[in-house]
Amino acid sequence: MKKSNSLSVPIRIALISLVACGLLFPGVVTGIAQLAMPVQANGSLISFNNTTIGSSLIAQEFNYSGFFHPRNDSASGLDPDITVQNATLQAARIHNVTGISIAYLDGIIKENTKYTLFFFGTAYVNVLDLNINLAEHYPSIYDRYTL
Amino acid sequence: MITTSAAFIIVVEFGSVLVCGWLLSSYLLSVYSTRRTKLDRIFGPVERAIYYLGGVNPYEEMGWKAYLRAVLALNAVEAVIGFVLLLFQGSLPLNPMHAPDMSWSLSFNTALSFSSNTNLQHYNGGSALSYLSQMAVIQFLQFTSAATGLSVGIAVFRGLTGKTKGLGNFYVDYTRTLVRVLIPLSGVAALVLIFLGVPQSLNGYTIFKTLEIGGSEVVKSGPIASLVSIMQLGTNGGGYFGSNAANPLTNPSQITNLFELALMMLIPTSLPFLFGRMLGRMKEGRTIIVASYSLYFIDLVIAFIPITHLGQGMEVRFGAASSVFWTVTTTAFTTGSVNASLSAFNPLVILAALFGMIIQATPGGIGVGAMYMLMYVIMTVFIVGLMAGRTPEYLGTKINAGDVKLAIIAFLSHPIIILIPTVITFAIGAQAAAGLGTNSLSFTQILYEYTSAAANNGSDFLGSAGNTVYFNVSTGIVMWLGRFIPIAVMLAIAGNMVQRKRYASEALRTDTFAFTAVLIVAIFILAVLTFFPFLAIGPILSYLEGFKNGF
Amino acid sequence: MDSEPHFAVTKFKITKPKLYKMAILKDSVRRLSPTLLYKNVVMFIVEICFVIVAVMAIDPSLIPEVSSVSEVPFYIEVAVILILTVWFSTLSDSIAEAQIKNTASTLRKIEKEVPARKIVSEDRREISEVTSKQLKKGDLLLIKKGEVVPIDCEVMEGIAMVDESLLTGESVNVRKSVGTTVLGGSMITSDSIIARVSVNPSETFLNKLIKLVESSSRPKTPNERAVSILLAGFTAIFSIIVISILALSVILKLGLDLSVLIALYVSLLPTTIGALLPAIGISGINRMSEKRIIIKSGKAIEAAGDTDSLLLDKTGTITRGMRTAIEFIPLGKHTKRDVGEAAFMSSWDDDTPEGKSMVELAYQEGFVPHEFAIIERVKFEEFSASTRKSGANLQEASDFFLPKGGKGILQHKRIRRKYDPESREDEIDIIKGAPDAIKEIVKTIPLNYDNIVDDAAKSGDTIMAIAEGGEIIGLIRLRDEVKPGIKSRIASIKNMGIKPVMITGDIEATASSISREVGIDDYVSRAKPETKYDLVKQEQARGRIVAMIGDGTNDAPALAASDVGIAMASGTEPAKEAANMVDLESNPAKIIDVVMMGKQILMTRGAVTTFSIANDVAKYFVIVPVMFTAAALSSLSKLNLLHLTPHIAVLSALIFNALIIPFLIPLALRGAEFKPQSAMRIFLKNVFLYGLGGVILPFAGIAAIAFVIAHFGGI
Repeated sequence: MKKSNSLSVPIRIALISLVACGLLFPGVVTGIAQLAMPVQANGSLISFNNTTIGSSLIAQEFNYSGFFHPRNDSASGLDPDITVQNATLQAARIHNVTGISIAYLDGIIKENTKYTLFFFGTAYVNVLDLNINLAEHYPSIYDRYTL
Repeated sequence: MITTSAAFIIVVEFGSVLVCGWLLSSYLLSVYSTRRTKLDRIFGPVERAIYYLGGVNPYEEMGWKAYLRAVLALNAVEAVIGFVLLLFQGSLPLNPMHAPDMSWSLSFNTALSFSSNTNLQHYNGGSALSYLSQMAVIQFLQFTSAATGLSVGIAVFRGLTGKTKGLGNFYVDYTRTLVRVLIPLSGVAALVLIFLGVPQSLNGYTIFKTLEIGGSEVVKSGPIASLVSIMQLGTNGGGYFGSNAANPLTNPSQITNLFELALMMLIPTSLPFLFGRMLGRMKEGRTIIVASYSLYFIDLVIAFIPITHLGQGMEVRFGAASSVFWTVTTTAFTTGSVNASLSAFNPLVILAALFGMIIQATPGGIGVGAMYMLMYVIMTVFIVGLMAGRTPEYLGTKINAGDVKLAIIAFLSHPIIILIPTVITFAIGAQAAAGLGTNSLSFTQILYEYTSAAANNGSDFLGSAGNTVYFNVSTGIVMWLGRFIPIAVMLAIAGNMVQRKRYASEALRTDTFAFTAVLIVAIFILAVLTFFPFLAIGPILSYLEGFKNGF
Repeated sequence: MDSEPHFAVTKFKITKPKLYKMAILKDSVRRLSPTLLYKNVVMFIVEICFVIVAVMAIDPSLIPEVSSVSEVPFYIEVAVILILTVWFSTLSDSIAEAQIKNTASTLRKIEKEVPARKIVSEDRREISEVTSKQLKKGDLLLIKKGEVVPIDCEVMEGIAMVDESLLTGESVNVRKSVGTTVLGGSMITSDSIIARVSVNPSETFLNKLIKLVESSSRPKTPNERAVSILLAGFTAIFSIIVISILALSVILKLGLDLSVLIALYVSLLPTTIGALLPAIGISGINRMSEKRIIIKSGKAIEAAGDTDSLLLDKTGTITRGMRTAIEFIPLGKHTKRDVGEAAFMSSWDDDTPEGKSMVELAYQEGFVPHEFAIIERVKFEEFSASTRKSGANLQEASDFFLPKGGKGILQHKRIRRKYDPESREDEIDIIKGAPDAIKEIVKTIPLNYDNIVDDAAKSGDTIMAIAEGGEIIGLIRLRDEVKPGIKSRIASIKNMGIKPVMITGDIEATASSISREVGIDDYVSRAKPETKYDLVKQEQARGRIVAMIGDGTNDAPALAASDVGIAMASGTEPAKEAANMVDLESNPAKIIDVVMMGKQILMTRGAVTTFSIANDVAKYFVIVPVMFTAAALSSLSKLNLLHLTPHIAVLSALIFNALIIPFLIPLALRGAEFKPQSAMRIFLKNVFLYGLGGVILPFAGIAAIAFVIAHFGGI
């Protein structure tokens, strides 16, 4: 019986694997993704005033104290979310800086609240969602600070 | 810290994994037998083409030595391919962000890491790798190392089941694993992940102006979903980015978080069922699954003793409970893809993680986890089985001196390749280069590094701080030894057993809950006996000191 | 006298060696020499540790950094305990060896050199006087009344009574005729025989055993070897751990005293099983010898423990091997008393077991003829004496017939019924025998005789007919009675998960009735000699491990094929060659003991191993919390469950570790308690006893020792 133990067999099988797993597989998946789910495939990009302002998945840096600020200590450094507790604390600051009512700020926080365990767990909000909402509703305040 | 809601979600998660694993085992049975199935019409021609191009004789039955030679040869060639591609990635195509060539030691480490299913990363993939490297090194080796692990697991099953002449044919097992299991499953998983928001593109990194005036961000899109799917399914664990599954682009939501957890648990969970099916005695498979899951639950309980608050190093969208759950699971299944920074956790969580990597069978990595569990079964049956008044036997075969010797070598290799490099590190002061001192936290970090390397887990404390020649080379060697010594030994045991006489009656019934309980305690004691002093001056001391940095 | 001396289990009268006999103590000290000890890896390492600590005690500066001058008294204490640990181990070896040597010397008495008369010429006239050692296989010997048989041989001519008491411990004379084996060491008590030596003096099974037990390089059994490898593995693991701790402690300045680390090391090493492993093996062989079973290799004991199927001969193993009368059945107008009295009178001088049992039954039921007393007193003696004179005469006088199938006896007796010793009344014929045979020679046959006989035989019993004065007056029911206690032993066997299979040459009805009575599910009836071999092969093909006994040459192939073959010492030489054990007492029922003993030895080894490893958990918790003196590690004291000070903790753990060895020596020599139960139940019981007990006991033991040291030790 022919034995497949010469060195040519592992080399050939390795090259076949390289093509199949390393090139064909990601290539085909990319093709399908770009055709069928372009939004997600390209990083769930988000627009403001018809301009793409990056991915909704990752945190953006905010310096103006009238914006909600993301955390900058988390594991990935890109954590787009803050806890509702944190957002409420920041709301007070935003109210002081911009004069936007606490009620409104609490309202958008509530509207955007998600939970770590779907319906329970820690309540959190996406920072970018809140800031886009503020920029859209109070253009007079935020125009100077936005794109 | 475990609330009813968290418990509910954990139960749903386990429930679905167990059901899917059970269903998958039935499919796997057909994959690894010569039985004809309807799917042969789709997969058959592909496999035949691979055998033809590869020069494989699919009818050759291999003994353990031939099987092992094939495993080593193929993995060595694949590692060399990975090493070369990384070393020259700067001048190779598909590098829109102009990642530079990798240093030799980091290439060495990375190639050995991914080819051994470890996926320890001393680099930050987001900036250090080209698209070609992410695909043709990382994803390639994630597929091949998972296929190797699963094939070896099956070969060991065949040996212990004793229904075949040899252990099968490695190239056939490997090919069928890729063609019939890993590529289809991970294709589906990748599409689900994309649907849930994980990017998949080859358009390069894009810089966007952000909402606030003057701000900008780089969206590091790439072939992420295809990598994440095989990294979890194949219990690999090396992330696309340095921050691995904590990065929102690889794990954008709680749903993807639970889906990815399920992916990493799926195949290791299905294998005990497959073992039962191959034997025709599901209860023997039950022993394996109950023992490994019980140890996993013990890990979970240890990790959930302290209350973990959502804090630094954790992602808000996952919450504290999910982060702890993930950390224990990713070490229990020796995947290693972290979704939070390890330094965020209470020492007891680290202790639980270490337990997973010390035992390696809770349920452990793809293919090899079940293999380790069988090693423990053989050792336990031998130690306590005599007390039933018969020379010990498992599945009807007598366990002889040769088997005991081999099982001991497999068991012994683990502490040796962890403790010796840990001692050497402190002896030559190599920890200083990674910014570590000589306190118990540093000790835990170094111990963790080598435990993770030896267990082919890949989660680590060091990250790119570990990118020194010393750590690259030493962990590289440890990873390959940790991978292939036990594989060689367990293939030898399986090869010796496959043709051994089977006896009809067994004094010690290994398919009982009583034996399962003894097995669990035995594994726990063996793990404690081997590592207790080191755990004591590492995480246990840190815990007793109240999370301080110890000595 | 016991009615079945064959089956009484008699223990060797071996005087147990005294535990502290000077020779044993000397031997145990001699064994401390490293040149002898190196074979026992665990104990050898403990001895090396002793040397290191001793060096520390003499001059701590020789081992700097991990020792201090102020600790010298402590080092001395540790060193003393360490060498005691090793000594306890060598002591257990010495005791076990002393026991086995004792056994061997008892056996040697049987093997001692005796004079022999070797026939050297063809015509058997020329005889040379030699000693047993000079004989070889095939030599012809003349052995006369009163002489000791010099060596195992086969009777070629003559019949003699032989006293085998030296071998079996039972003083009963056995009749040996042509073709049977007479054993070396037995004594001819009547007549002379010519016999052929069947074995070379150096190859007798007794000699093999003596060699086995006396050789210092007793080969390890497969399982013993596997356990040794396991112990070596654990030793390697703990060595790596300890060396790593030492290195880390020096590098990270954790403040560690080498003596404490060595104490941890020795405590963790599987010293208990390491110390007792050789003794367990030796004692196994010894206990077999005490039961008068000669094993040819240690391997056979293990195989015995693994038995799945036990092939049992019905006759001799399950039943007494002789039929006894249990009922008198009158026919026609005759009464039970008539039948009983006739049976009594006809059997009075009948020495066969059947005959005796008829007399006993009649006597018990009160069927002794009142005139019999007179006969007995006056004349019967004479009559009796004349018939008993020799076997040949008896045959002539009583007309023995062997009916079809080789069973039953037809016995014809003439009894002079004399009320007056001087009268000359007619003699009365009483004939008893197989119903068919009797039918042929009597004048009157009762109605439905054949049907009645058939009905009576249905239960598997043997039926005899008895006729008086030419008329069949009744039947006697005889039964080959099941041995007392056999039923419960069969139940024990089945409880252990072993399948007993009964083999018999009997017809189906008899076989099924007996097997049902004793609770055996599988039996083979109408077995031919080769059936045993087929059965062994058939059971093995089903993946079972088969044990069997045999004695005839016919059994040799089956004995060779079976996993555990026990030959009767009284059996033929080929059978003994083929078997891996020989039973000196030739008691077939002992196979059950052999299986149980095999299991017991394996269990003891497993129990001590498990216990030894389980002990480590407690020792870790006692020593590790007090091991590091660096202030930064002081929080580890929270793990100090017993709240012991460092010195006391270390000493108590070490003392416990040492004392457990002599504590368990009796267990090693005697074997773990064994009750026949299902394997899983035995397993679980032992897991609790030695596994869980092994975790808990050291906590209690160490605490107790610590209490003693703290209160009475003056430390």
